[in-house]
Amino acid sequence: MGEMPVTAYLIVSALLFTIGTIGVLVRRNPLVMFMSIELMLNAVNLSFMAFAHFLNSVDGWMFVFLVLTVAAAEVVVGLAIIVSIFRTRRSIDVDDLNSLKG
Amino acid sequence: MLNLTPYILGLPLLGFLVVGLFGKRMSKAVIGGIACSAILLAFLCAVADFFSMLGQSVANRSNDVTLFHWVASGTLTINFGLLSDQLSAVMLLIVTGVGFLIHVYSIGYMGDDEGYWRFFSFLNLFVFAMALLVAADNFLFLLVGWAGVGLASFLLIGFWYTRPSAVAAARKAFVVNVIGDFGLMLAIFMLFKFFHTLDYSRIFLGISQRNVAPSPLPPPSPITGDVLTAIALLLFVAAVAKSAQLPLHVWLPDAMEGPTPVSALIHAATMVTAGVYLVARAAPIFTAAPNALVVVGIIGGASSLFAATIACVQTDIKRVLAYSTMSQLGYMFMGEAAGGFSTGIFHLTTHAYFKALLFMCAGAVIHALGGEQDMRKMGGLRSRLPYTFWMFVASGLALAAIFPFAGFWSKDAILAAIFSTAQAHTNPVWWILYAVGILTAALTGFYTFRLIFTVFLGSYRGTEVPAHGVAAVARNGNGNGNGSRNDPLANVHEVGAAMLIPMAILAVLSIIGGFDGIPRHSAIGDFLAPVLGVSPDLSGGLFWFSLLLSLAAALIGIGIAWVRYGVRQHTFAPARGLVKFLERRYYIDDLYNAVIVVPIVAVGNVLRNFAEDAALDGGSRGVARTVGATSRGLRRLQTGYVRNYALAIFVGAALIVLFYVIHP
Repeated sequence: MGEMPVTAYLIVSALLFTIGTIGVLVRRNPLVMFMSIELMLNAVNLSFMAFAHFLNSVDGWMFVFLVLTVAAAEVVVGLAIIVSIFRTRRSIDVDDLNSLKG
Repeated sequence: MLNLTPYILGLPLLGFLVVGLFGKRMSKAVIGGIACSAILLAFLCAVADFFSMLGQSVANRSNDVTLFHWVASGTLTINFGLLSDQLSAVMLLIVTGVGFLIHVYSIGYMGDDEGYWRFFSFLNLFVFAMALLVAADNFLFLLVGWAGVGLASFLLIGFWYTRPSAVAAARKAFVVNVIGDFGLMLAIFMLFKFFHTLDYSRIFLGISQRNVAPSPLPPPSPITGDVLTAIALLLFVAAVAKSAQLPLHVWLPDAMEGPTPVSALIHAATMVTAGVYLVARAAPIFTAAPNALVVVGIIGGASSLFAATIACVQTDIKRVLAYSTMSQLGYMFMGEAAGGFSTGIFHLTTHAYFKALLFMCAGAVIHALGGEQDMRKMGGLRSRLPYTFWMFVASGLALAAIFPFAGFWSKDAILAAIFSTAQAHTNPVWWILYAVGILTAALTGFYTFRLIFTVFLGSYRGTEVPAHGVAAVARNGNGNGNGSRNDPLANVHEVGAAMLIPMAILAVLSIIGGFDGIPRHSAIGDFLAPVLGVSPDLSGGLFWFSLLLSLAAALIGIGIAWVRYGVRQHTFAPARGLVKFLERRYYIDDLYNAVIVVPIVAVGNVLRNFAEDAALDGGSRGVARTVGATSRGLRRLQTGYVRNYALAIFVGAALIVLFYVIHP
């Protein structure tokens, strides 16, 4: 079986990214939103990997590591915020968090 | 030679600063003590200077000290210099001496006032500004003192600032005085343009050596007689405003809104004498501009007659005195115009004694009656206020120029100077001025004793005087004293020692204060002659003729007053005809009001309603409203829902991507 073309990886990546985007936009649970964001990030990682492989460049690998690090840090901060919000408000529905309304 | 002039200036300034900054927390005794001792020490310095000056030979009596350089710019060099000469010595003695007595009097008069410390700090400021005015050795610092006097008078006239009339009077005085300041400034510009200096000595040197400007630069054009006339007239504009002569006199009667000691200070020691001083100080300029001197004489004569006629019908005790001041200042200007600069200053000194005393007596009457100033509601106060009565009579005789009171000698010197000038010149204006002087002398006798007879003789016409200081008695006694069982004057009492002692000193001065100017042996005239020149005088029969004529005129005036107001009770009918015309002050205030004030206020209203509200405010408010409306619209975007923001980010990112897809 021959090597799959790069477009196949990109189509999967786009699908994953779209699913993640829709998840962020439609879900009201911040944990699920975080998961969707992770999905988006990893969709991007996938396309980085694909390009890195087909272009024989390590730049893509480096970006992937960078994205993974940032995503880990982001999840830590995000979860801390969610825990703190839950402690004060007894709810983590994001639609209740509208006190910055103009 | 001793020169303590810096201390004469410094002490009142120090008193002003100390009382003004810390007076609010001081007791009244401390405030009065500081303010009075500052002026007393300044007066003692002036006395020491004066006697030190007398010890010098005539040539060495002038002493100019430069304390520091103030401005040095191109050819303009201004020093803060103090000139100590015969004229400034006399003026400083009057300013600090009479000023000190008024300070002491104020301790008694203002004793109950809440603004005690404010009052005394302003009084000290007034004396400081006036001392600076007379001690400066150049025209710029004269202007500084001149404006300072204007400021202090504004503060003191409007001292009772909760009264709208006092505020209006203060504003009026300030505005009218600024017209004069403007004239003085223009005169200073012209002096600098033609002389390249503002020092008195160098300007006067430049006039004496005409066309030789005492400066490296030549004057832009030769200093002609016309130039000097213009400078002299501009200086006189300033003098007219400050000394309340026609047509800028309107502020002086209104200035009666201030406390009575302020009136005494303004009328005797400071303020109005500044104009007379300025003309005397600039005597070399005026002497070199004879046409300007004629103008000075005409304005002075017109003012003196004008004010005397008004004084004859006024019913407010202080306004009578205010118009009499204007009239006497007219005399001083007439004397100066006739070349008798030292007679003008001599009359200034005697006038300071008796006018300060007249105001103090009027203040004592007002104080005793609990604030009443309308003389129609007075009468019969002689038995209640015996000291005040006799001192009022002494100062009244001095004002009416009766032998041998102070005013007699000085007024006679002025009339003699006018007579003598009239003989020497072909211009008939001097004869007219002499006639005006005699007529005014008669009017002066009339209005002075109309005032005294109405206030002190006859029977009391007012309402019961409430006990002041204590809660007022509720009973309203019948005014005449006949119908009431109780005496309406029961609460009227002679003033205290703090007020009586300065009055007594001034009473002595009103009697003997003219002996330094006895005709042909005039000590003050000889003393001032090196600065102001020798005043023209009469000799022989004409001397006696003029002397007796003015005395007779004054006695006739007093006699008419005695017939109308002294022998029997005068009933004050409502004014009509000529009396009404005079009582309305020739309608000049109404004229100014209609011609100047009303149009300015109308223009101001139009500008406020349309330019200010519509254009200026409307413009800035329009900008604010636009920004507000925009932000009100924009804040709808801030829903507070995280998912909306996420959608916005997503759409934005998608649009950016789309943009690069379309425009690769």
